[in-house]
Amino acid sequence: MTTAVATRAPLARQLRSELRWILRRPRTVIGLGLLCVVPILAGVGLWFAVDNTQGPAGPGLAAIIAGNGLVLPIFTMFLSLPLLLPLVGAIWAADGLAGEANSGTLRGLMVAPVGRIRLLGVKAFGIAVMSLFAVTLMALVGAITGVALFGMDGMLTVSGTTLPVGAALGRIALTIVLVTFQVWAVAAVALAISACTEHPLVVMAATMAGIIVFAVLGAFSSLDWLQPYLITSAWDGLADVMRDPMPVDGLWNSTALAACYLVIGLSLAAIRLVTKDG
Amino acid sequence: MTTSTSARVESASAGSAPVLAARTRGLRKTYGSTVAVDRVDLDLPEGAVMGMLGPNGSGKTTTIRMLLGLVKPTEGTVELLGRALPDGAADSLPHVGALVEGPGFHPFLSGRENLRRNAAFEPLLATGSIKQAVEDALERVGLAQAAHRRYRGYSLGMKQRLGLAAALLVPRRLIVLDEPTNGLDPAGTREVRKVIGDLHAAGSTVLVSSHLLSEIEATCTHVAVLHRGTVVAQGELAELLQSDSTALQVTTSDVDTALNVLRAARISARPSEEGVRVELIGTTAPAVFQALVQAGVEIHEAVRQRTGLEELFARLTEAEESEHLSTVDTIEGAR
Repeated sequence: MTTAVATRAPLARQLRSELRWILRRPRTVIGLGLLCVVPILAGVGLWFAVDNTQGPAGPGLAAIIAGNGLVLPIFTMFLSLPLLLPLVGAIWAADGLAGEANSGTLRGLMVAPVGRIRLLGVKAFGIAVMSLFAVTLMALVGAITGVALFGMDGMLTVSGTTLPVGAALGRIALTIVLVTFQVWAVAAVALAISACTEHPLVVMAATMAGIIVFAVLGAFSSLDWLQPYLITSAWDGLADVMRDPMPVDGLWNSTALAACYLVIGLSLAAIRLVTKDG
Repeated sequence: MTTSTSARVESASAGSAPVLAARTRGLRKTYGSTVAVDRVDLDLPEGAVMGMLGPNGSGKTTTIRMLLGLVKPTEGTVELLGRALPDGAADSLPHVGALVEGPGFHPFLSGRENLRRNAAFEPLLATGSIKQAVEDALERVGLAQAAHRRYRGYSLGMKQRLGLAAALLVPRRLIVLDEPTNGLDPAGTREVRKVIGDLHAAGSTVLVSSHLLSEIEATCTHVAVLHRGTVVAQGELAELLQSDSTALQVTTSDVDTALNVLRAARISARPSEEGVRVELIGTTAPAVFQALVQAGVEIHEAVRQRTGLEELFARLTEAEESEHLSTVDTIEGAR
């Protein structure tokens, strides 16, 4: 009685529509714009600091910025990872499910029908692509700003060696991937929260509160045993990309931890979404 | 809307029984200790325009949400276009258009962009025909002029129309409209009626909920009355509206014989105080008398009970206000 009926719209069309929808939202455009401002502000701030003291200024990566513009994108990404980038990921996660439920559009998708697991996949894809885009955009603006302000003579690592431009760009690309993956992990957990509520604000507040609590917990030495499980504590270890030779253990660990958060977050979101009333 | 359906599920094989577009059995939904819907057995014949009538909070929307697989029933089964939910949802839902709980759209997108997004997720719509399908749907609900404006700035009536347009993106076998005329002016209401009429003429089944009897009377062939989460009456509108008395109270001392006779004659009846209560659905008072007299049942008295749809519905709504459950008899009578 059934003759080869399409029961799902083409996946590519759904994904395109999702990306288009995220990009059409004014807050997405404004958010991406603000993310571009971060490296510029950081670059200008460092430029003044370096200029005034006639030498290396500031701690860590900032100390090696002079004549070393390609460090700026990496510096900016690490600067944004503890708060700004998770916030951006949380906003997209919040709009993805809670926001759609709030505007009454989620049930429209469900009766289309978009299978609920497929729906989660489409949402996760949208957030993943946008996170990658946001981090890449930030790195790009950072690189341009850095080179413009500080020049480009390869990249001086925190270990004291200088990497050629090609290798330096490789390190920037690696940082983009590592940082994006951390944002995905946070966004996956945010997506799970998003599946449980109709209020996008709750998702953002809960995600940010979680990150702050984790950061606080990571600051107590009596809670050292907890450190390996805190995603925020793993973020410090990512600075290893600026060493030469690059120790990979810390990078692997933090990425593996993020993968755990990602899997748990998506699983919880799937479980909730499948039983959710639309 | 020309090439949009690549293939359509054939109507269920022509059997002797009426084909049902939707069928529920023993549907029940509870939220904590609140019973939203209970024992709902709904039969929606294919090709019918069924009005779901009930005061606010009578379980109309919850029933519809279960029909569409949005909400999982606590108990009971749902069959949609011949497929049992939730497993058959992927097969049946593409053929179902719905406007549930008011229109839901993104305020920052225009009406057209909102519909394009909906269309992108419609399984039956070929990618190449999305544009045309969206324009057709907008045209059909009279929104073509306002299609470029942001949804944020739409009036309540325009929002409602856009919701209707979303349900009409694809030629559907079943359209479910939850309070479609909410917020519409008289002209908009007429247009919705016309759309429903067109859908009916095109062979689609329509389920439309409303708390206004006049609305149902104007558009529907069938009606189901809900009260406190239960279907208290359902059937063809003409039958239910036929007369202002659909039940006959027959006073007799020979209750058992009377019941047997009537049941043998396929007339629904049940014992009541001092006699039997006979439903005048599909039969007439003289036919009832004839059957009883021929069997030698003594009739002391026969009184028509005023349980017409309007009466029933009026009492239901009044009961809602006064919170008296004195209507139970009337409700039972209309079954």
